[in-house]
Amino acid sequence: MQTTELLNTYFVDSGTWDEMYKDTAVREQYKGVVEFMQQLNVDELNRKEELAKRLFMSQGITFTVYSSGEGIEKIFPFDIIPRIITAAEWKYIEEGIKQRLKALNLFLKDVYNEQFILKDGVVPVEMIYSCPHYLREMHNFPVPYNIYVHIAGIDLIRNNDGSFYILEDNLRTPSGVSYMLENREITKRIFPDLLPKNNVRSVTEYTNILHRNLVSLSPRPINNPTIVLLTPGIYNSAYFEHTTLARLMGVELVEGRDLVVSNHRVYMKTTSGLQQVDVIYRRVDDEFLDPVVFNPGSMLGVAGIMSAYRKGNVAIVNSIGNGVADDKAIYTYVPSMIRYYLNEEPILKNVPTYHLDNLEEREYVFGNMNKMVIKKTNESGGYGMLMGHTASEEEILRYKVEILKNTREYIAQPIISLSSSPCYMNGKLQPRRVDLRPYALCGPEGIQIVPGGLTRVALREGSLVVNSSQGGGSKDTWVLAG
Amino acid sequence: MLSRVADSLYWMSRYMERSDGILRMLKINYASSQDDINEFSWKPVLHIFTYLEEEQANAIEHHSRAVLQYMVTDKENPNSVLNILTKARENARSVQDNITKELWQCLNDFYHAVRDEQLVQWLHKEDPVTILDTLIKHGLLYYGTADITMSRGEGYAFLNIGKFLERGVQSADILDVKFSDRDFDFTKTDTTYWKYLLLSISGYELYLKTYRSGFEAKNVVEQIVLDENFPRSVNYSVQRLYTYFERLKNQKNAEGFQKIEFLIGKIRSRVKYSTVETIMHQGLHAYLTGIREELYEVANALDQYYFAYL
Repeated sequence: MQTTELLNTYFVDSGTWDEMYKDTAVREQYKGVVEFMQQLNVDELNRKEELAKRLFMSQGITFTVYSSGEGIEKIFPFDIIPRIITAAEWKYIEEGIKQRLKALNLFLKDVYNEQFILKDGVVPVEMIYSCPHYLREMHNFPVPYNIYVHIAGIDLIRNNDGSFYILEDNLRTPSGVSYMLENREITKRIFPDLLPKNNVRSVTEYTNILHRNLVSLSPRPINNPTIVLLTPGIYNSAYFEHTTLARLMGVELVEGRDLVVSNHRVYMKTTSGLQQVDVIYRRVDDEFLDPVVFNPGSMLGVAGIMSAYRKGNVAIVNSIGNGVADDKAIYTYVPSMIRYYLNEEPILKNVPTYHLDNLEEREYVFGNMNKMVIKKTNESGGYGMLMGHTASEEEILRYKVEILKNTREYIAQPIISLSSSPCYMNGKLQPRRVDLRPYALCGPEGIQIVPGGLTRVALREGSLVVNSSQGGGSKDTWVLAG
Repeated sequence: MLSRVADSLYWMSRYMERSDGILRMLKINYASSQDDINEFSWKPVLHIFTYLEEEQANAIEHHSRAVLQYMVTDKENPNSVLNILTKARENARSVQDNITKELWQCLNDFYHAVRDEQLVQWLHKEDPVTILDTLIKHGLLYYGTADITMSRGEGYAFLNIGKFLERGVQSADILDVKFSDRDFDFTKTDTTYWKYLLLSISGYELYLKTYRSGFEAKNVVEQIVLDENFPRSVNYSVQRLYTYFERLKNQKNAEGFQKIEFLIGKIRSRVKYSTVETIMHQGLHAYLTGIREELYEVANALDQYYFAYL
């Protein structure tokens, strides 16, 4: 069978924006890929899919699922058909994210220091003090270059009219960037020559920019500062990503037990004694970072690291306490922050969000539960979510009871349909919902966004949840040069 | 280099050496089992390389396929190739940024090959030599990849320290159990037995070239313990161990370095100034036990002075 047949039988849901098709016509940016695919028959396409799987497995791009006492290696599902973003779309996204990130950094600086935005009543004080990620330990501490968010993963979705919305800001330890890099490597193998032919912009600069930024943060003005990537260890589901980034940047991958703090300085234990550490790119959550200050039971962190940070003897990336800015309830105020700090209109739109501690909004939400998605404000990864249109009566009732116990912990948003993209699954082309997470890097020289990102795919038919922890997959994401 | 990284590299390397030793030994013993006039017994093998109780060993000692399965793919056997490779891979995983991507992939492929569910069936039905050869080739690929891709820094020194320490212990083990197993009468000539002993550590051709005459126990002992050109001899392993350890000299860890240098130096001299006559005089078993204990002392000192990080 020829692939043309597959393309002809692809059926797009009428109420949804499809990334590849506009009605029955292929969108301009996808023509190169479609032409290439038409030259293949289904067997060839299957072989490419096989090859992709084998490459992931052999490179150990896997996560381990432990069941019945035995580790099983799984690959993060990858769909071979790329997701393509035009130059114009990218320009718009890039500007929007830069603007947003600038405001979010200013907000963090403000909220941990003078708190003008609270005094001016733009963001309600209760919102801040009720947020579990707001850390008093960060008060009145000048972080280097006033940068709190060095690495951000901003989640975007597309409504049925094709316009982009910000779904979520990830400002703590956003993950997934290694899949942006590895997915591209796989594409090079399964679709030879296709990338240059389509003018796809490269993403490989990511680790160079990140490394440059990390070096520039070193508190000691030396040529070769010691930079480490702090990982929770091999059992962490993102461990592969940690090793990839450490390898590509040539920095040491350390665990908490490799580090020790002495006289407010951080050292790593080496075969030739202690060596001072200047910059820590940590992939350990705030809560586990320092057992002296935060969770005393943490085995992943380093005792005393907070004191070294506050003394300015070590740089920590991302800064601590950023959770107050990506809290799902604070999210509502980001457009106001942009107007307040930058005196600009927000470029990228927020999804309308209802605060459930506001009586009127709550009544409205409770009356329209089947059109709403309910989210916990301090959860991520798709946990603690209720999709109103598919939930049963009992589930909805249970959520209402939970919400009433602590209204600050939940927000509601109207269900946005998410754009679809064709995926090659079980020998058929099928539409699946996607989002987009570009990665923004913020250094002393400004904000840079590598042209690309992670396209996450909700693999179940009709599902709107793309998180990998909820059975999502991913696609290579192409940004075309103009 | 991080102490934890040094530790993991060292253990990754020890486990890889161990898996190679086990696979070769299995291959040759299997070949030997096809060649034996008497019913072949796997007892000596089960003795050195497993923790089986006497009765359990008795139960499978004449069943080659059962032994192969137990030694290669059994999940309950802590010393099966599968479990050893799992440990090697866990160590490699935790130092992925300190080994080359090629080396990681090659070890990872080896691991997936041993985990392949079909392997159990193949060991049951197909030609075991073909299967063992395939696995051994994965190991050879690992050695070659390490040699060609790894930078000659501290990490490479720790890789080799682990490798040669493990090899020294293994060669001593194989020799010891093979000889002590059957109340060995050193004057008796048992050609088949020695042939396979030498084959199992790739020393057969060298033996023929060196000694030309038939098999004599003392020549076999000489080659496996003292020959400085035989890459599996105790002497060779200890010399290499010394060479790679010397590369750590320029580090700031002077106290640890001197202690361990002294310990390795002691074994070196012991081996260097032994002759086959003095070994036989002292008793082979006592001699090998001494060597092994001294190698373990080196391992403990490495733990203490270089790897301690907890």
